Amino acid sequence: MEVFVQLTLNGLIAGSLYAMLALGFNLLYGTVKFFDVAYGTVGLVAAYTILAFGRTYDLPIVLVGLVGVATAGLLNYLIYILVYKPLRTRKASSMVMLVASFGVFSVLQALIAMVFSSQFFSLRNSESVSMFKFAEGSVTDVQVITILFSLVVPLVLWLLLSKTKFGRAVRAVGDNEEVANIVGINSSKIVGWTFFLSAVLAGLAVTLVGLDRGVEPYMGLALLLKGIVASIVGGIGYVWGGVLGGFVLGLVENFGSWYLPSEWKDTIAFVVLVIFLLFRPRGILKR
Amino acid sequence: MEYIIHIIILSAITAISSVSLNLVLGFTGLLSATHAALYGIGAYTVAIMLTRIGVDFFLSMIVAMFISGLVAFLVGLILNRFRDDYYAIATIAFQMVMATVFLYWQSLTRGPLGISSIARPSIFGFSFSSNISFLILSIVILGIIIFVSKRIVDSSFGRVLKSLREDEQAVEVFGYRTYHFKLTIFTIAAMMAACGGALYASYFSYINPPSFYLFYSIVAITTVVFGGLASIRGSVLASVVIVVLPEALRFVGFPNDVAAQMRHVLFGLALILLMLYRPQGLLGEYKL
Repeated sequence: MEVFVQLTLNGLIAGSLYAMLALGFNLLYGTVKFFDVAYGTVGLVAAYTILAFGRTYDLPIVLVGLVGVATAGLLNYLIYILVYKPLRTRKASSMVMLVASFGVFSVLQALIAMVFSSQFFSLRNSESVSMFKFAEGSVTDVQVITILFSLVVPLVLWLLLSKTKFGRAVRAVGDNEEVANIVGINSSKIVGWTFFLSAVLAGLAVTLVGLDRGVEPYMGLALLLKGIVASIVGGIGYVWGGVLGGFVLGLVENFGSWYLPSEWKDTIAFVVLVIFLLFRPRGILKR
Repeated sequence: MEYIIHIIILSAITAISSVSLNLVLGFTGLLSATHAALYGIGAYTVAIMLTRIGVDFFLSMIVAMFISGLVAFLVGLILNRFRDDYYAIATIAFQMVMATVFLYWQSLTRGPLGISSIARPSIFGFSFSSNISFLILSIVILGIIIFVSKRIVDSSFGRVLKSLREDEQAVEVFGYRTYHFKLTIFTIAAMMAACGGALYASYFSYINPPSFYLFYSIVAITTVVFGGLASIRGSVLASVVIVVLPEALRFVGFPNDVAAQMRHVLFGLALILLMLYRPQGLLGEYKL
């Protein structure tokens, strides 16, 4: 029973992270329609900015966190302007965009590794961690915050997308860019904002990972994979689908590690991905 | 001179890998990001057979081709249900699974320690221990692979592959089972990649998991795109460039770990610039 509770808790914590990763990925995929391989690595930039800032200045974590997340967003916007925007103006296929994102991924990961070395860094020192008892399991303060974020962030994003003019424009571009342009939406601007926001979401998730466990330059790909699997499980392109998928994946992975060593978590994610792609390619919440 | 031989051997091994990937990516239009894993299966099979069982290199290479082909066939059964970017994502996921296997199936692969003292090939008492003889061997194997690839793409089978790349549904309408064609070429390419992996393991006499990570799939994709999709000549040419170019970094005098990361930056930039300014590559027939 104790193991069961702890595994459920771990599953929910992992699920919240995957849910947030899926949100940003879904937003980007829903609007721009391509798989951005660099997505997780762009998110890592947030954590490393925080690391660099936290070392030099003694500022409250919320402030540093905002700087980090905004840096990741701005960087992704810059990448959009330099790489994806010219490709989109040329009406390049989603395959060309994907291959270009391989390049972005490779450059970013190497730059991070060059500046910060390949070591594993935690964003906080372990003495300041406080533990909470919950039923028969235990969670840390960061993990509680993570779960809270995973409930608030989708709500905010959902409100943004469904209740504001900006959100309607984003959805319009996702549905049909040409028509959106005809009715006077500046699609290039909207797509730029989508890149910014998706990196902010990825950055937020990665920052929470960094506070909880730590970061290393090579984890971007695994994070991306989790985001994609969660999106596909829940239904690609839908806000709540990504959240649902994230929690499903988190729970499946953690209960899977009851039987398998935890190194095989990526493999479990792969199996989940394949099962869904084969039998329910449009996710649980397909319309 | 020794250095030049080293460069040519590396180019030949890279060319084996990129020519075989071109069959899948260039001729058939499947964006496979799992080439490094299939190449790695070849390398690991040979390494394990040579060090543990002590069988002959050429026999282990044939076994490696068989195993890599078998894995590709089984994975291909699943992968072939997807198209375009979903296909790419599924191959990335499989690539990551194989990286986990290389790293954590420690009783077989010795995990992060890697496998060392892998012997050079020998046949009828003649050992390819000198680099010049190994050079000849790798050129011969590359020659065979180029010959077979050319035969494949010039055959009626190859023409179906090319038309499949242009319009899969149209080919299906003509009554071809595109599924079988895609599976066959994926398996053949994996067997060829395994040859490259086998030579790699034997040449360096040491392998470890990072040599078969996603990055090397990206390098292979870069090479193929750079040389030109559906151009075998282009792939060979691009392999030489892609081996020589990072070597130049060594002469600039970066420390070793920085140089390794600089290679990643260089390949990434090359890929982005190719996509932006020349998506058909040097000698390519068509754009991605």
